Amino acid sequence: MSGHYAKVRRHAGLTPLLFGAPAMLGLAMFVLLPFLMALMLTFTDQRLVSPESSRLVGLRNYERLLSISALVQDPERDSAGHIQREADQTPVYVRVRAITRSQPAYRGYRPLGDFHFGTRRITILAKDPAFLQALCNTFTFALVVVPLQGVIALGLALLVNAGLWGQTIFRAVYFLPVVMSMVIVSVVWAFLFNRDLGLFNLALSKLSFGLIQPVDWLGNPSTAMPAIVILSAWQGAGLQMLILLAGLQGISQELYDAARIDGASTWQRFWHITLPGLRQSITFVLIVTTIGALGLFTQVDVMTGGGPREATATVMFEAVRHGVREGDIAYGATICVVYFALITILILLPHALLRRRLRGMP
Amino acid sequence: MNKRHLQCAFLLLFGSLVSCSQPSLTDERIELVLWKNLAGLEEEAETAALISQFNQSQRKWRVRAQSLAQAGYDQSVVAASLAGRLPCIMAVDSPMVASYAWAGHLRPLDGFVSPQALAPVSPAAIGTYSDKTYAVGQFDAALAIFTRRSTLMRMHTRIPTLDRPWSAAEFETLLARLKASGSYRYPLDLFTRDGKPSWWAYAYSPLLQSFGGDLIDRNNMARAQGTLNGADAQRFGVWFNALFAREWVSRSEPDDYAFVKGRAALAYAGNWWAPEYRAVAGHDLLILPPPDLGHGVVIGGGSWQWAITSGCAHPDGAGAFIAFMLQASSIAAMSDATGYVPVTEAGAAASRDFKPGGKSRIFFELMRRFARQRPATPAFPAIASAFTLALRDIMDGKNVEDALDDGVDEIDSTIADHGGYVLGLKP
Repeated sequence: MSGHYAKVRRHAGLTPLLFGAPAMLGLAMFVLLPFLMALMLTFTDQRLVSPESSRLVGLRNYERLLSISALVQDPERDSAGHIQREADQTPVYVRVRAITRSQPAYRGYRPLGDFHFGTRRITILAKDPAFLQALCNTFTFALVVVPLQGVIALGLALLVNAGLWGQTIFRAVYFLPVVMSMVIVSVVWAFLFNRDLGLFNLALSKLSFGLIQPVDWLGNPSTAMPAIVILSAWQGAGLQMLILLAGLQGISQELYDAARIDGASTWQRFWHITLPGLRQSITFVLIVTTIGALGLFTQVDVMTGGGPREATATVMFEAVRHGVREGDIAYGATICVVYFALITILILLPHALLRRRLRGMP
Repeated sequence: MNKRHLQCAFLLLFGSLVSCSQPSLTDERIELVLWKNLAGLEEEAETAALISQFNQSQRKWRVRAQSLAQAGYDQSVVAASLAGRLPCIMAVDSPMVASYAWAGHLRPLDGFVSPQALAPVSPAAIGTYSDKTYAVGQFDAALAIFTRRSTLMRMHTRIPTLDRPWSAAEFETLLARLKASGSYRYPLDLFTRDGKPSWWAYAYSPLLQSFGGDLIDRNNMARAQGTLNGADAQRFGVWFNALFAREWVSRSEPDDYAFVKGRAALAYAGNWWAPEYRAVAGHDLLILPPPDLGHGVVIGGGSWQWAITSGCAHPDGAGAFIAFMLQASSIAAMSDATGYVPVTEAGAAASRDFKPGGKSRIFFELMRRFARQRPATPAFPAIASAFTLALRDIMDGKNVEDALDDGVDEIDSTIADHGGYVLGLKP
């Protein structure tokens, strides 16, 4: 017996590896290898369509993607030394592109945004302002949609778990958007968001007795992203609802009964029993939603094409635009690699900080 | 039930194997694989009919067609080229010919399609790159302004002709009147709803050209600077933005049927819309040339064209097929079946709809008089993308000069990255 036992023990190190091998192989083949290939591409000028083999270009792609600079300008003055002003009293400056396109030091830079410091105008320049804008858009989207979608999902889960009449039907209804193709959802919502004939504007106008003027949801830079946020939260909440529902049903009824006997209010029961009981589920939901949000592409591609004025362009959209549609696969790969690195840092940083703090504790 | 399914599957598999192997047993002819885009059911059926005619007339060659979805066609070609698995004959969208030729995917038609067959073809339907012909179209498309006679009468507006199209001022007056009439929220549909760069470059770069500008300096095909952001182009940008600012055009119609449903009085659309428009407007429908915005009327030229790939083992067979497709009878049959514009005078004359006096003759005249090919350079995908981005920004109110400068920088730096697309001169 002991011999047999020893044999098992000796193989214990190998067995898990053996069982894990198929999955590991799959991961290596379809995740790790493509990533390494993409990493290699970023140092080349590989094109999708080209008669010449690619060449190594060093860090050129990274330099084009990430270069940032600034331009400080004094206002134009007339011959007497007075500051020239426009009709609305703002000082006159030389056009930024007149400088960036003529001075070698600023070659390739484009304005990202500007602010004023006294009479001086400081313009932030970047070699690829569209990417930085897209990065900003994507994180804004994630920051808004993740809590929103989580709250909607939790609300729906509580609602269909409350034991009301017809809850199975509602469960199915809320889950329906999840099984629909995102492309179809986007096309339909583009109709709903239409300025003149869309349902939302008609409803807003009717409800406010014509006080609210029609909003050009997808045509206005300030409303386009919120519109996509609403659509995405609506589409994704069903899946999160299901996960939270499973979590809800895992909470022991005895806890609620005990709380009720102790005279806890509904709010107290929710705060002290439901939420702590759902901690694992909520963490999972937040992670999954964040991953989905950072990969935002389909809605943008179908509904706005990144517009208006790049207000809805996302990192994935930029990667596909450069990498596939313009055929510059090396640059597209660079966008993906930089994005991957950024997200990794964002995830690992809080982890590392937390660990250090824990270690510092007595 | 499961067993039944399995039997079915086996039968199907066996059947398909038998049907695959059958021709090689009885047919001594050499098979040529052909790839085409799936443009529409009529076109698909007519191409299949022409291919079977060709196969019946042939002792030596047999063409086998495979249709690919148009949306992913370019990606499929790129993937197949990377894998070295391109077919022998290939349909190529006109502006992509130069790109594929430069990449070495195509071989010149010289020697495989006779000059006599190519001579009568309208210039816009011939795909050339660095002085060689690589592709030729069997049909072309044409954009026109569609409207109703009754609408123009009501607006007291002259009906333009091919010789005397509307001037920019006349066109704007008409739009202003239509808007003022209160019957139309957006009197003109430009189909800006379709955001694809290929459509924007095809539809709106002719308007830019009518202003005197262009996408790129066609003398050297190396620089957009001074052309896409020149004074003419900037006037075009201001004009284009005004269409939206004055609410003459919606930046995105909710569907493609603004004219059909009567929401718009004018539609700037292609010949493929003619059947639908005829059905709703009947004899009231007018098909008119686009306005002359200063430098003559311009419409886009060049549709899908046939090309021979460089890896094709039997280019003479491919050439014979292309020559067959260019016969007047083939062209006429295709045009009558699909409504696409015939590319030769003889083809038009043999056609029911496009012969002089035919109901679609106008499209042939538009193509012959006004069609201008998109720049034949491998940089075209980058040009189309940059132009579309700039023009969409202009539509949404970005400073015209800034938007065009950005577009120019994008194009010129792409061309510089490729050493001007001259082989062997990459920096």
